[in-house]
Amino acid sequence: MDRKSEEKRVQMKNILSTFLQRNRKLIPLWATAILALTAYAIGASLFVGMRNPQVFLNLFRNSSYLLISAIGMTFVIITGGIDLSVAGVVALTSVSSAVLLREGMDPWLVVTLMLLMGMFLGAIMGSFITYLKVQPFIATLAGLWFTRGMCFFISDNAVTIDHPTFQILGKTKIFIPGMMEYYVGQGRPAPYITIPVVVGFLLLGFAIYMAHYTRIGRTIYAIGGNEGRNEQSARLMGLRVDQTKMLVYTFNGFCSALAGLAFSVFVFSGHGLYAPGMELDVIASVVMGGTMLTGGSGYVFGTLFGVMVLAVTQALIQFIGSLSSWWTKIVIGALTLIFIGVQTIIRNRKTQRQTTTVEEEEVTLRKKRRNLWVGIGALTFGLILIAVAVTQALPSRNQATPESTQCKVAPFRETEAAQLILEGAALVYHRTAGPECVDQLFAIFPDGRVTGTAGGQTLEKQVTAAEVEQLLTAISIDHQWFTNEIYSTYLNPCRQCYAHFISISFDGQVKAATGVDGTTAMPPGYAFALAEIRPLLPVFQSSE
Amino acid sequence: MKKPTKQPFSWRRITESRLFFPLVALFLILLFDFIFIPGFFAIESRDGNLRGSLIDIFRNGSTVMLLALGMTLVIATGGVDLSVGAVMAIAASTAGILMNPSALRNEVFFVTDPSYTFQPLWLVIIAALAIAVLCGMWNGFLVAYMRIQPMVATLILMIAGRGIAQLITNGLRVQITYKPYWFIGQGWMIVPFSLYIVAIVFAFSWLMTRKTSIGMFIESVGINFRSSFFSGINEKRIKMLVYVFCAFCAGIAGLVASSNIKTSDSNNIGLTTELDAILAVVIGGTAMSGGRFSLLASMIGALVMQAITQTMYAIGVPAFALQAVKSVVVIIVILLYSRQVRGFIQWIGNPKKSAYK
Repeated sequence: MDRKSEEKRVQMKNILSTFLQRNRKLIPLWATAILALTAYAIGASLFVGMRNPQVFLNLFRNSSYLLISAIGMTFVIITGGIDLSVAGVVALTSVSSAVLLREGMDPWLVVTLMLLMGMFLGAIMGSFITYLKVQPFIATLAGLWFTRGMCFFISDNAVTIDHPTFQILGKTKIFIPGMMEYYVGQGRPAPYITIPVVVGFLLLGFAIYMAHYTRIGRTIYAIGGNEGRNEQSARLMGLRVDQTKMLVYTFNGFCSALAGLAFSVFVFSGHGLYAPGMELDVIASVVMGGTMLTGGSGYVFGTLFGVMVLAVTQALIQFIGSLSSWWTKIVIGALTLIFIGVQTIIRNRKTQRQTTTVEEEEVTLRKKRRNLWVGIGALTFGLILIAVAVTQALPSRNQATPESTQCKVAPFRETEAAQLILEGAALVYHRTAGPECVDQLFAIFPDGRVTGTAGGQTLEKQVTAAEVEQLLTAISIDHQWFTNEIYSTYLNPCRQCYAHFISISFDGQVKAATGVDGTTAMPPGYAFALAEIRPLLPVFQSSE
Repeated sequence: MKKPTKQPFSWRRITESRLFFPLVALFLILLFDFIFIPGFFAIESRDGNLRGSLIDIFRNGSTVMLLALGMTLVIATGGVDLSVGAVMAIAASTAGILMNPSALRNEVFFVTDPSYTFQPLWLVIIAALAIAVLCGMWNGFLVAYMRIQPMVATLILMIAGRGIAQLITNGLRVQITYKPYWFIGQGWMIVPFSLYIVAIVFAFSWLMTRKTSIGMFIESVGINFRSSFFSGINEKRIKMLVYVFCAFCAGIAGLVASSNIKTSDSNNIGLTTELDAILAVVIGGTAMSGGRFSLLASMIGALVMQAITQTMYAIGVPAFALQAVKSVVVIIVILLYSRQVRGFIQWIGNPKKSAYK
């Protein structure tokens, strides 16, 4: 090889390395953006349904509340803090707005009150962190518990929102100009977004302006710099550290409350258990957006892509159909790990440049090797996950399309059950949802007659009276049905789960309790009661 | 061995003791129970076993006590382990699926034979604890060797752990019908069996930390890991050790919890218990920044948490609303430990000498 080409090679290498050095912070951001788009492209090539532009816009529609919340979280993380209370504030906002609307309060007043409440909660947590020097993690954890707990003081059950203003906020379709004419011309439904998406993007624009073009933004970066240890130097520079931190936490409270409103107009109800584990999703999307968890560096813009990665992951898992929703958790965990790994490598590179001595170089070499191994490990881990996911997904290809497997959960027929109890039934059991999306109502009478109805079909079965007596005793005494240990737990069931309603009349007492397989805190006695009931029931042809 | 000179009794010495605040908190809660809840202290003997609300505090608190033991050591090294709840779920799922593998065939048939188990009990327990230890090694690897912040490193397992637990149980709740397993959480030998487990783990960890130099190493790593490294302590190995021990404790807690509710519920076992454990340690006076620790104080902290829970249940606060009450307690504890309040209490004891003005 002649000298000239060698020189050229070195020059190219230098250009490349300076480019990488300069844009070091941007690497995770672009990686995330490329990842999100690639994942969507792969999905679109596998599933025809995903090519629909409406599905692409749905990514934003379904995660608008996540985006809003993640914007606030980005600032908190840049200052080197963390806020675990976001999911609690979202749930509290949804419940209290639902209850206030039910009581007939003016909707705009409700919106204002909710935003003020969020800011107030954020300010309280901020003051604990700023002035009492409590670790952000502990203070916001207390905030999470407080808000989640308060939800249940307000209302035990889910409260539906049917106020027209909130319906307008949630259901107004905003068509994309240009796209609309094209689709209407073709006679197809035009793709649209909703108001929360627009609000989310406006907030994003405001946040980008605030982070990069104002004094507050620069102070926020200064506080979190040097891996979050920079607070003292920021203070010595004469920056208003305390006020800025308070502002960041208050802003995050505002974002959480806004996210809660977006969530309320997305699901049109409020409940204390809504958005479980959302704080982790939010943190994961901020990290994937290229913000360092140690603080001081990151882009608000990247958070948008972090949220998109999350949304695409969820959409893909939904489209694959046979994968359960908990695969989302594993994939997000793995992605977070990979991005944190990338951050660590970048951080190590930064320290590497400062080292000079021979021994230290040896140390960095060892570090490099270690990083390589970890990278290989993470890659293998990811590949195994993908392999498992694909093998699980393959058999389902020729099954029903994912859209048709979505099931409309029938509401519990509580009045019908009460009527049956009045007619003399000892136990009424209603089951909905599940893999086949059933809606079955069973009644067991003391004389041993068991009836079942589902979708117009009626079945009858005869068991002995002694068996019924035994069943009732087992449920009410062995499984402590008439104690406080059996309480209703209800959530929207997961795709493969059943929702149960059991009403039992025994010894002059009547008690009804609802429960869902899988995601709820169903008391163990409830599950055992189900196990006792099931053998006595008639079996419908279509199910099981 | 030289006997320490007996110090004179003084208010100041008591208030500066690590056990002072947790014991005062426990006393206040029990006093409240004594006044407002009739029969709270009644202990009756049924078939030679002791039962009552007071015993229930110990029995239900055993999982948090186990977690607090491991968590104390982790926090003493300046770290934190958020994944204990997920590790509990993973261990419980492993145990459940080894006893009742029906969920693997994607059907929820309930095995009702109380003597049926798929694998022998000793294998079930060893496998569950081995998987828990594996999780601990993963955490330890990320924290000690990868130098990722402990909170972030364990957050990963916290997110993914529940997914893994559901992967093991195929996303279903596994009913545990094997009767000998129930004994772990529900058995009684005069006092609940789980208390013996707690006592053994406590005795083991106390001996390891106070009768060998490991305890001092842990404190030294927590105060300054760099200078510990220069003084010849292998700080990486110490960190690895505490995370593995914490996950091991979480594994045991998972077994106790699943046996207690007779279900391996990968979604709900250990949900938010990581917070209970961390709070127990904080109430016990171990600083989140690491350094000095007291296992006994953490255990009392765990009892305080459980006593609050039990009291609220007795009053009739619903299970979910309980969190709000707990958070208020946390805030009070945080305030109590703040420098201002501490100074004030010292000032009450000795107004002249105290620096508080």
